[in-house]
Amino acid sequence: MPTLSNAGKVSRLGIAAAVLVITLLGTIHGQDDWFPFGPFRMYASRDSPKAAVKSTLMQGITPAGKRITINGTETGLRRAEVEGQLGRFERNPALLATVADAYQRRHNGATLAAVEIVVRNYGLRGGAATGHYTQKLLARWSRS
Amino acid sequence: MSRFTGWWFTPMPLGRIAALRTIAYLFIPLDIFVFTPWIRQHADISTRLYDPLLVARVLHLPEPTHAFVLTVQWLLVAAALAGATGRAPRLLGTAIFLLYGEWMVIAMSYGKVDHDRYAYLVLLAVLPTIGAVRYGQREPSEAVGWALRCVQLAVVLTYFLASWAKFRFGGFNWPTGAIFEWAIIRRGTFLSNWLLHYPHLLEIGQFGMIVAELASPLILLVARSDRGRYLAVATMLLFHLVTFGALTIIFLPHLVAILSFLPLERHRPVLWVRARFTPRSPALAEPTEQYSGS
Repeated sequence: MPTLSNAGKVSRLGIAAAVLVITLLGTIHGQDDWFPFGPFRMYASRDSPKAAVKSTLMQGITPAGKRITINGTETGLRRAEVEGQLGRFERNPALLATVADAYQRRHNGATLAAVEIVVRNYGLRGGAATGHYTQKLLARWSRS
Repeated sequence: MSRFTGWWFTPMPLGRIAALRTIAYLFIPLDIFVFTPWIRQHADISTRLYDPLLVARVLHLPEPTHAFVLTVQWLLVAAALAGATGRAPRLLGTAIFLLYGEWMVIAMSYGKVDHDRYAYLVLLAVLPTIGAVRYGQREPSEAVGWALRCVQLAVVLTYFLASWAKFRFGGFNWPTGAIFEWAIIRRGTFLSNWLLHYPHLLEIGQFGMIVAELASPLILLVARSDRGRYLAVATMLLFHLVTFGALTIIFLPHLVAILSFLPLERHRPVLWVRARFTPRSPALAEPTEQYSGS
């Protein structure tokens, strides 16, 4: 049977211990950009049963004035990524031009006259969905 | 201390590495083209939206331009297909690990990171520590034991540390929140939407989730017999299938890593197919490696 030398064992245990320590540090102290050692925060934030459920979406206005909802595969930017960079888009809506460019690249040159990020607030009553929502504009860019 | 090192270096069959290597590396082209096409779609996004991970900033990795993303993609596919044959395992394995690492930088640097592949990344990291091996090889090795223990521990940590993150970001009252309600409103399916009318059922589910995550280290205790191993893997698989049914989220790379718990060396699908479709030609089957068992 192939066995490991003492040095082989010590170095392997050392590497495993180092990765374990970094992973624990990431969970206790790290942020998302520590990936792959960041905290495993899938559904980790707590949503109040009294507040509305927020859902962000990207919408485009075609040159003909039609409003369309743009999903992640249409631009290469997923909904969670739009939400992750929401602060940047709100401070600098001109950045949405990059979304229009990406849309154009993925749709054989079809242009968008405007791009908007809106948030829908779905109502909850006693923790259950009421089925109603209100919508709010967060950022808008339009081709001038 | 000896029990501790004994656990880490439990001799395990070389053949399991051969099987895992082929599965883990064949998974890569499927991952790129079928399961997570959004990663390659980042090629079409302006680098102005690139928000690099810490590792990319420290190592000064290049900005993922359109050409760069496509180059990494095709190099990775080529290395993975070559690596899946088992040839040059250390060289190709290291190349695959580094290229896939860069692929993750491209994937996770646009405002959202995923947590479905910590254990899979550990698997890609440890595979090159084992040299050439044959399918079905039953000979045990301490180096294989260490490699598989790393992956198994990473699988368990993915669950266990997720509970810690819930306490850190959600607070100890996380289970009484509207987390599942929120998740189903955003991504529900016909299998889960009816639950929106039963918030208390969802709350019970949230308590169950925390308890299950905290109990996940038991997997390592249960998986000490064959029955325990299959039970542990079936339990994890069931959890991920339920999540998929309810929210269309599935941790596919993590599922690949979970295979490290199973005695893959006993299963020889290629020999099985050959034996079944070419009757009475024993010359085709290697005499020392006859297929046995299911």
